[in-house]
Amino acid sequence: MSFDSLAEIKVQVETPDYDSGNLQSILSEIKFALEQLLQQNKTHCIDLRAMPWSPGEETRLEEYLGRGEISVELNALGKSSFYETRFSGIWIVTHYNQQDEIIGKLIEITYMPDMIYAQYEDVKNSLERLQQP
Amino acid sequence: MNKKTLFELLQQQGITRRGFLKYCTALTSLMALPPAMIPTVAKALESARRPSVIWLSFQECTGCTESLTRSHSPTVEGLIFDYISLDYHHTLQAASGAAAEHAREQAMKDNYGKYLVVVDGSIPLADPGYSTIAGISNLDMLNETVAGAAAVIAVGTCSAYGGLPHAAPNPTGAVSVSSLIKDKPVINVPGCPPIPTVITGVLAHYLTFGSIPELDELGRPKVFYGQSIHDRCYRRPFYDKGLFAETFDDEGAKKGWCLYRLGCKGPMTYNACATLKWNQQTSWPVESGHGCLGCSEPNFWDAGSFYQALSIPDGDYARAAGYAAAAGVAVGAAAGFVHQKTKSTAVAQHSEISVDDFSLNKD
Repeated sequence: MSFDSLAEIKVQVETPDYDSGNLQSILSEIKFALEQLLQQNKTHCIDLRAMPWSPGEETRLEEYLGRGEISVELNALGKSSFYETRFSGIWIVTHYNQQDEIIGKLIEITYMPDMIYAQYEDVKNSLERLQQP
Repeated sequence: MNKKTLFELLQQQGITRRGFLKYCTALTSLMALPPAMIPTVAKALESARRPSVIWLSFQECTGCTESLTRSHSPTVEGLIFDYISLDYHHTLQAASGAAAEHAREQAMKDNYGKYLVVVDGSIPLADPGYSTIAGISNLDMLNETVAGAAAVIAVGTCSAYGGLPHAAPNPTGAVSVSSLIKDKPVINVPGCPPIPTVITGVLAHYLTFGSIPELDELGRPKVFYGQSIHDRCYRRPFYDKGLFAETFDDEGAKKGWCLYRLGCKGPMTYNACATLKWNQQTSWPVESGHGCLGCSEPNFWDAGSFYQALSIPDGDYARAAGYAAAAGVAVGAAAGFVHQKTKSTAVAQHSEISVDDFSLNKD
């Protein structure tokens, strides 16, 4: 049997019921960022891949944040998924490469992740294409 | 150097601004920079040009190349082959013999003063015959190739510190790159092998900013090697509570307690395994139940048994650390500091002091 990518090998991570305390600290960072968003219109972003998670902890965070009303899929250099959690203003963004491997995972505290907006350069390019005979 | 900027190359492939921003996001994460740096990375990459890279393999096992080519983000094959001009790598390139050596010479001539040299493997000084490429000794090839380089990246513990070939009795007289190259910046990326994303992260830093990242006293990029395994370990709370696994299958091991007493070298090892992890962030040694071997530290192979608990020299250090643990303060930071500063003494005194000297139960 041969595999083209690690994603094809099913790995089951067991989740022991102990807590490294990471969840509390990240939730308080999120809470503070949400206050800042409301009071000063300041956005914040947390790189989930920079956290020393214990097994299963990242999943527990995602389960706690849940899923909200909106999700967006982007197709550029592989898929990306953006969804708002059940807490409005807290988004989970996951970037995949063309082999469907995760290359970036972030929590964004913002009204709308910047990448969802049409980008100036791309809009300009659209106009140029439309103007061609 | 290629005349086109990275952004232009991406545009040529029909990649949108969103795609470019996504690439920048992945790259920022890869370089272990905070997400607030994404716009800065994007701005730098708009004018970045492809650097030429010459990869030299000396006394090595090819594990470092394996690690790199099995890595993934941001599609490392893309990073290497599209955004870096890898002009010579005798394991990966199709050309061989004279044609291969010609490629190296051509790349040096075309990019003189600007190319990067990546070295994996140590250099034998006892007898050049221990390791040659195309009849050229490793030492001659290193000196000749580095002469026109902007910087040298020593990938893997062998090229960073001598590694396994350097282990006692060191029959080949193996030495590191930094002990030979004194007139160029040398970036050490140790590990046996290094975490692939750390290798690509360092390359990405050069690609993005055209400079080398900030280094520690051992020449390692601080973003990846700035904190000890112990300080970033998710099992650290157990250490602070004095909860240790005593064997690999006891109750403590099953509950995921600290592996210190089973010989974990986390407190004296500086690397990013605890956060970046391995195999696409699936796991890392401590998470799979085995202590850290300390593979990114100098002379790790000669530092006693992998399964013997680390010790610290007798005296005030032990007492201070013991007090800190009793008071519920983060003792590991102190222990890490002690180990880093007095490691050679600690190695010599392995059997005399154990973890008990600063555990909770001691006075």
